[in-house]
Amino acid sequence: MSATNFEAAVSGALAEESQRRARRLGRALIWAVAVVAVLWFTGAQIGMNPLALVKGIPFMADFFGRMFPPDLGHLPLLGDATLETVQIAVWGTLIAVLMSIPLALLGAQNTTPHPVVFHVTRMFLNALRSINELVFALIFVSAVGLGPFAGVLAIALHATGMLAKFCAEEIEGVDRGPIEAMQATGAGRMQVILFGIVPQVIPAFISYSIYRFDVSIRAATILGLVGAGGLGFSLIKTMKLFKYHETATCILVIFVIVFVSDWVCARIRARII
Amino acid sequence: MNAPDTRLQPMLSIRGLSKTYPGGVRALNNISIDVAAGEFLVILGPSGAGKSTLLRCINRLVDPSEGQVLHNGREITGHRGDLRAIRRQFGMVFQQFNLVKRLSVLTNVLTGRLGYRGMGRSLVYSFPEADKRIAIECLARVNLEQKAFQRADTLSGGEQQRVAIARALAQQPTVILADEPVASLDPKIARQVLGYLREVARELGITVLCNLHQVDYAKEFSERVVGMSRGAVVFEGPSAQLTEDILHRIYYREPGEEAKDEA
Repeated sequence: MSATNFEAAVSGALAEESQRRARRLGRALIWAVAVVAVLWFTGAQIGMNPLALVKGIPFMADFFGRMFPPDLGHLPLLGDATLETVQIAVWGTLIAVLMSIPLALLGAQNTTPHPVVFHVTRMFLNALRSINELVFALIFVSAVGLGPFAGVLAIALHATGMLAKFCAEEIEGVDRGPIEAMQATGAGRMQVILFGIVPQVIPAFISYSIYRFDVSIRAATILGLVGAGGLGFSLIKTMKLFKYHETATCILVIFVIVFVSDWVCARIRARII
Repeated sequence: MNAPDTRLQPMLSIRGLSKTYPGGVRALNNISIDVAAGEFLVILGPSGAGKSTLLRCINRLVDPSEGQVLHNGREITGHRGDLRAIRRQFGMVFQQFNLVKRLSVLTNVLTGRLGYRGMGRSLVYSFPEADKRIAIECLARVNLEQKAFQRADTLSGGEQQRVAIARALAQQPTVILADEPVASLDPKIARQVLGYLREVARELGITVLCNLHQVDYAKEFSERVVGMSRGAVVFEGPSAQLTEDILHRIYYREPGEEAKDEA
């Protein structure tokens, strides 16, 4: 390439670069204006008003004032409710783990027996995840009555939706090599899954399950709001009786068990992975 | 079910095998090869020549579009019913070893027995004592019995491939299909692994079809070489006949050049 041609090619590319840059800037500006306009409009529509928040500060202070100091004498009465909360989370998560294993196999593209089964399973799992635990709890309270069992079922269903979907995606992402090797030995379909796929997804599945237990603990603390057992019931009861010092104790206990479960789960996950 | 006399006919006979993948890629074009019992046959060719597809058509990991494969005179292409029984006969060794990394070396070798066993015990990852004995014997043949209880991914590449050979042996196969078994290994380890493959096959009378792309190894280890290029056989004969001209035909054949018939 001659010197002049070389120079022309370089300056041509430079010119194009600055052109593209200008176009990019223009587009970014248009998008920015549009996004800000939409956010402003929706904010006004849902009544976002910083002034109201500022005006509300004295009321909030009053509310917290009535809660303070927490009535620690109420603490012994919360023992059963705390235990129940943890029990709800344990059973709910355990049932979800057991249900999500077959559902994950049906809902993963590489293990599903049929594409129709795959789509139906994924739709079912999406439905489970889109319904909040509290909504499930309301349904189950009316089905099996007030109490922790309704809470267990609520957590089990919602958690199954999440665990099975994560596990299915993990199954879809496994290394194909060992699967092919198992097929080559003459292994049957189920044996290929057991030896070629399961060992590959076990660590992630355990990790998700522990994380999900942590989420279940948090969910279990509020299920009592709709009568499905646990600390949430004490919380709503004390509030309705205007015993705010006791409400504060409930919140404190919730804070402690969420904190402890988060710490314990992090330790276990670190140990396993 | 009397096996016909293998001295009178090839133990493996590939006849007019072709494979066109759904995308329209023609990976194999009318391949015919006869393999004698106990032979160590090297299939030599560049990447993309169709070597992997050829091996996978034999144990039916890939279904051929046309042609037949005869094993001891019995056709093994076409019918789906006894697929497991067919695959048991063919141990396979892969370029990437394809061990299950988190399982122990011994369990990996034991998976070679899966084709003989039902679902029941597999569900609890248990194998009969007889299978354990077979697996440990196979490990001992590649001198790795002392590593039986380690996790597979703690072994070096060469050791992993020896475990993979032991897994193939555990199938008690009549044929081992080795698909670029040493492509991920350095030359010293590669020779060691190919040495193990040749020795155990010889001791047990197992036929080996070994895909390679390196001419040196082909010359060193093969009894006979089949040269492949662009899905066709372009050479067949002892490795001593691999002249520059023939190697050029295997590795640099232009599209449109006719594949030469058997040498």
